[in-house]
Amino acid sequence: MSTVEIRDVRKSYGQLEVIHGVSVGIADGEFVALVGPSGCGKSTLLRMIAGLEDISGGEIAIGERVVNHVAPKDRDIAMVFQNYALYPHMNVRENMGFALRQRRLPRAEINARVTDAARILGLEQLLDRKPRQLSGGQRQRVAMGRAIVRNPNVFLFDEPLSNLDAKLRVQMRSELKELHQRLGVTTVYVTHDQIEAMTLADRVVVMNGGVVEQMGPPLDLYDRPQSLFVAAFIGSPPMNFFQGDVEGDATLVLDDGHALALPVPVPGEKGRVTLGVRPEHIHLANEGWPAVVSVIEPTGSETQITARIGEHVVRVLVRGRTEARPGETIHLAARPGDLHVFDGGTGRRREMAP
Amino acid sequence: MTAAALPSPRRRSRLGHRVRIAAGLAACVVFLFPVFWMVLSSFKDQRDIFTMPPTLFFTPTLETYISYMQRADISRRLINTIIVAAGSGALSIAAGAMAGYALARIRLRGAGTIGVLILLSRGVPPIALAVPMFLVARSLGVTDKHITLILAYCTFLIPYVMWLMRGFFLALPRELEESAMIDGCSRFGAFFKIIVPISMPGLLSTLIFSMILAWEELLFALVLTNRHASTIPVSIAGIAGDTVNGANWGALTAVGTITVIPVVVFALLVQKWLIQGLADGATKG
Repeated sequence: MSTVEIRDVRKSYGQLEVIHGVSVGIADGEFVALVGPSGCGKSTLLRMIAGLEDISGGEIAIGERVVNHVAPKDRDIAMVFQNYALYPHMNVRENMGFALRQRRLPRAEINARVTDAARILGLEQLLDRKPRQLSGGQRQRVAMGRAIVRNPNVFLFDEPLSNLDAKLRVQMRSELKELHQRLGVTTVYVTHDQIEAMTLADRVVVMNGGVVEQMGPPLDLYDRPQSLFVAAFIGSPPMNFFQGDVEGDATLVLDDGHALALPVPVPGEKGRVTLGVRPEHIHLANEGWPAVVSVIEPTGSETQITARIGEHVVRVLVRGRTEARPGETIHLAARPGDLHVFDGGTGRRREMAP
Repeated sequence: MTAAALPSPRRRSRLGHRVRIAAGLAACVVFLFPVFWMVLSSFKDQRDIFTMPPTLFFTPTLETYISYMQRADISRRLINTIIVAAGSGALSIAAGAMAGYALARIRLRGAGTIGVLILLSRGVPPIALAVPMFLVARSLGVTDKHITLILAYCTFLIPYVMWLMRGFFLALPRELEESAMIDGCSRFGAFFKIIVPISMPGLLSTLIFSMILAWEELLFALVLTNRHASTIPVSIAGIAGDTVNGANWGALTAVGTITVIPVVVFALLVQKWLIQGLADGATKG
């Protein structure tokens, strides 16, 4: 096991810089998720940790050792790829033992470690099968088995669940978490799925356009997003946003002229801001922002209400069921602590008074 | 395609199927008839070959084979052809596959240009190379040797193998080698332990095509060899172009048949590999 230090790392392809100085410190045994939209540089960063991409600037250290110029095979890492990359001409046993054979471990030890990993992953019955004889979920497990037999310093995962169907993905997600709790190996996990990042990681690094937007424990990102981008990216269904101008202390005048009265004054300068509220933080009240219900979507445990304040679409998620009907006017309210205000110019968070 | 969208799609597709089979059979007849006629004629005696109208029924004879095989140079030329085809096939596969892999995978400034230049070398008419090659071989004192012919064939086989294999390697997921490199292989190790075994069907089919090209090559063989290392196509050309006695059609068909048989046998032996799926199961199915 080992720490991973990413210090001001940059990546350029010719003139084009795609990663603009990223620094992340990963503690021993920590599970860190790199998350962001496609093209944000998360996979490139992971591949630089693996040694599959050159590092154009800055340095990466695994443990005490700077690995910028160390070959992938000498970094003592294991990686699980999105497409699994199982060796098609080898059976499961050979696939899992390949790295150990490369290191010329004694046959008995290779067998023991492969059997052990197969038991952990429930692959004992499949050891003599070829990859093409396995289902998607089984291949995924073999890919994980290939990584854990190595007993590496660091696990790297590159969107390992993306090729699975939704149900299997949820199942593998909790298996992965359990595996990490059991083995405690430092893990870097790349995903574009914020739910995966939130549920799996000790710490989430949100990337956008080659920079880190914010990093921190999942619930910190959820509770106090530092930018509009993070606010919009984390959470499902996504946060509602209202753009407008602050007038007086606590009134937001939306672009269509509707005024929203806020329960607390807007911090900082007046002027243009974006107000954000999560759907699950809005509740129906006797008084508040009037809105006209357009769609009701019950799922049993909760109900999603789509309503309109003027031309603004607002999504509200309420527990249980609702009496509201399409066409009715309802009143929406939120606790002061659940309101997020972002600067109209920079998109950065303005801290509300408690 | 839904059943309702088109009128009786099943009948339509069955009809299409039959048309395609008929077209395939017709093409087979067109292409195979000359071969059939050659093999048939090789078992006729000299008189039957020229009967008009041509006869399908005759007393088969091995006379042409026996009389021709008895001349030592045919069997020696057959062995020469095998040596040269195998040697140039093996050498071009070894060099061409590695070059193709490098072109497919290694980021190198100007790699595309290098690839195109190598391919362009195939655009030079062989006849323009034959004489310079002969002069080079003569001044090195290596005319009429197997290795000379093997190397000469490599000049056109390596670009051929390289481009075929490049396309093949490009179709393989890059993650296979990356995974191998993380698992403890060097680039070479990943190539030999992972890529080569997976690419066996492609490598073998390319090898066969290369060997067939070498097998039937005439021009370089004619120019660079004399007696010792001469190959079968040279014999055929000699028989066909015999201006003194006229073409010996019996001999021509017999030698032609002998030339075709090893290629067919070889292709049948490796067809298991040829039709085997490529990298199925490597990644998401």
